[in-house]
Amino acid sequence: MQPSSSAADTGHSKGRRVVAAPTLRKRIGKSWRSNGPGYMFLLPWMIGFFGLTLGPTIASLYLSFTDYDLLTPARWSGLDNYEYAIFKDSRLHNSLSVTFSYVTWSVPLRLAAALGLAMVLDRSVRGVSFYRATFYLPSLLGASVAIAVLWRQIFGSEGLVNHLLFLTTGLTGPSWVTHPDYALGTLIILAVWQFGSPMIIFLAGLRQIPQDLYEASSMDGAGPFRQFFRITLPLLSPVIFFNLVLQTIEAFKSFTQAYIISGGSGAPVDSTMLYTLYLYLEAFANFRMGYASALAWILLVIIGIFTATAFLTAKYWVYYEDEGK
Amino acid sequence: MRNRISRRGFGGLMAGSVSVVALIAAGQPAYANTRTRLIWWGNPERDKRTYAVVDKFLEMNGDTTVDPETYSWGDYWTKLATLAAGKNLPDVIQMDYRYIFEYARRGQLAPLDDFIGNELELADFDKNLLNSGKIDGKIYGVAMGANSMSYVYNETVRKEIGLELPDPIAWTNDDFTALGNSVKDALPKGMYFVRNMGRLENVLETWTRQRGKDLYTADGGLGFDLQDLEDFWQLWFDLQEAGLTPPADVMAQDNGKMDEMMLVNRRSLFDFLHSNQLVAAQKLIEDEIGITMIPNQTGGQPGQYMKPSMLLSMAANSGDPSAAAKLINFIITAPEANDILLVERGVSGDASIRERIKPTLTQTEQKMINYLDAAATHVSPLPPPPPKGAGEIERAFRPAWEAVAFGQKPVKQGAKDFFDFAQMTLERA
Repeated sequence: MQPSSSAADTGHSKGRRVVAAPTLRKRIGKSWRSNGPGYMFLLPWMIGFFGLTLGPTIASLYLSFTDYDLLTPARWSGLDNYEYAIFKDSRLHNSLSVTFSYVTWSVPLRLAAALGLAMVLDRSVRGVSFYRATFYLPSLLGASVAIAVLWRQIFGSEGLVNHLLFLTTGLTGPSWVTHPDYALGTLIILAVWQFGSPMIIFLAGLRQIPQDLYEASSMDGAGPFRQFFRITLPLLSPVIFFNLVLQTIEAFKSFTQAYIISGGSGAPVDSTMLYTLYLYLEAFANFRMGYASALAWILLVIIGIFTATAFLTAKYWVYYEDEGK
Repeated sequence: MRNRISRRGFGGLMAGSVSVVALIAAGQPAYANTRTRLIWWGNPERDKRTYAVVDKFLEMNGDTTVDPETYSWGDYWTKLATLAAGKNLPDVIQMDYRYIFEYARRGQLAPLDDFIGNELELADFDKNLLNSGKIDGKIYGVAMGANSMSYVYNETVRKEIGLELPDPIAWTNDDFTALGNSVKDALPKGMYFVRNMGRLENVLETWTRQRGKDLYTADGGLGFDLQDLEDFWQLWFDLQEAGLTPPADVMAQDNGKMDEMMLVNRRSLFDFLHSNQLVAAQKLIEDEIGITMIPNQTGGQPGQYMKPSMLLSMAANSGDPSAAAKLINFIITAPEANDILLVERGVSGDASIRERIKPTLTQTEQKMINYLDAAATHVSPLPPPPPKGAGEIERAFRPAWEAVAFGQKPVKQGAKDFFDFAQMTLERA
């Protein structure tokens, strides 16, 4: 038994080794035949992802530890960039506070507008799909350069807003977009106006809420307010959470509107100097590629902290219906 | 075959995508070597004229090809720095006095001395203007034209309100303010006497030079004192408070584009321009524009200077330097080219060209030449080149002034903060 079994064992393992190669090749071949075309279709995306996203991201991490002005090769500078950004750069600190107030105003207001309109549109009225499309339109247009240019006109010293103000109250308004007290406000209004994509997601969320809950509660005498706070909000909280995280990240990354409205300068008095705009100016106006890369990574950390906070606190306020089951 | 793509078709796809990649990879260098690339910043008018010059060059030199590229001033330097980083600078580059030192000293530009007398025929060229392209003893750029700073004004309105201007060389800021106060109420509705120049570094430079100081010293430090800046801002702040300039929020609508100028929008009688921009600005307004010198301070020295409006340089990595030099020569010295360019880029440094084009010039262009001739009698030498970091300081000048103009900081505090920022930036650069 013993020798034969060991012989059989070795024979078996030998046989497996001999057979293994073709099987593996066959398996790869088979998997290639069934998945290959899929990968080929993915190829353009993968080239884009590795070549244009991941590669530059890694390069920027390296550059963030260097002094690089494009004309001369990058010089290693250790943590200098981060040190300067955190402790010395007063224009950066100003742009951070501008960005935080932009985010803290624009995100809740945009979500509120989105939720409000979603609730209005969540009923079967004639032509509701037309209204939905209409309300979504600003989101398609809002990020465009043309709208930002239009915004400059509307809120300029002789713009629509001041004409209306003069007609209704007789007051002469300032140039809203170019006054340091109001310029950021016009940017926030522009951001709130683009409530379309969270609105669509809220609409889908509202559809998920079982109607019988409303029926039962109204039979128990609950008014619309109580229904909103006791049924709609809790059941919608996962969707609110999703929108909040997404919109916060997006708000931190806003660039185009501030760039266009301020003529690429963050003017007046750096009051519209959003973080990304400052980063852009450091990189492409002052040619501090190393420093700008460090700023980009700092922004990543900031966004990461906000997102993590949202996820960590989620268990206290986000209610998942299926958890109790 | 569930996936509907046969193995052969698949191979074809693969080969196709590989060859596309190969084409992209191989195409670039071949492209750069056989053609002369020309890049400039401009405006629609300049672009039109430059394209026409390129066509003329091709017509006269049958065997060459030229790739022209143009960007606005704002995008130009970003594009150029990116190209430089990719070692892919175009052969012939329009340069600015502010940047040429940086590019030349970092080895991005080719010295032109060896070409002068061969491909570059500059015997008739003004020596002073030629020297404005000299860096560390070598010529890195040939000036395309000369210009100077200027005050421009709405000539039509000036006549309407019967305002007489004093001798442009002798007038002072006190005269200027007094004039403003005397005509303030006669101006058309919505028009102020002068755009606010508190944020214009060029005007500050003229101001400090009137006091015998440049913005920057030759060794790259700040050339003026805190007091100079404080006085300058005090003047413009007082003019703003007196209602002679538009209020700060109206001024802030001007982001430096020509169609946003207070003068062009009839919001101010006086404005600031570089003299070669007169032609382009005149196209944007029906009223006639007049041009004069920047007022001096009482007992001040000449603050203005003649500077190269822009220069033509050659990239150090040019594949065919001789062809590039020929193109530079054509643009600078060929009568055929200058018949098209005229004085849009400033007044040519080539005496024979100046004589040739003079009779064909429009009234505006002649006004500009006459201005330069008059100003040339009252200028001081070219300042030392701006150090690294000067561009950043210039961009920070506007928000710093606006903090004062909007009343967020008193003049003294604002000036001190900016002065400290400028010093720190120079140390950091």
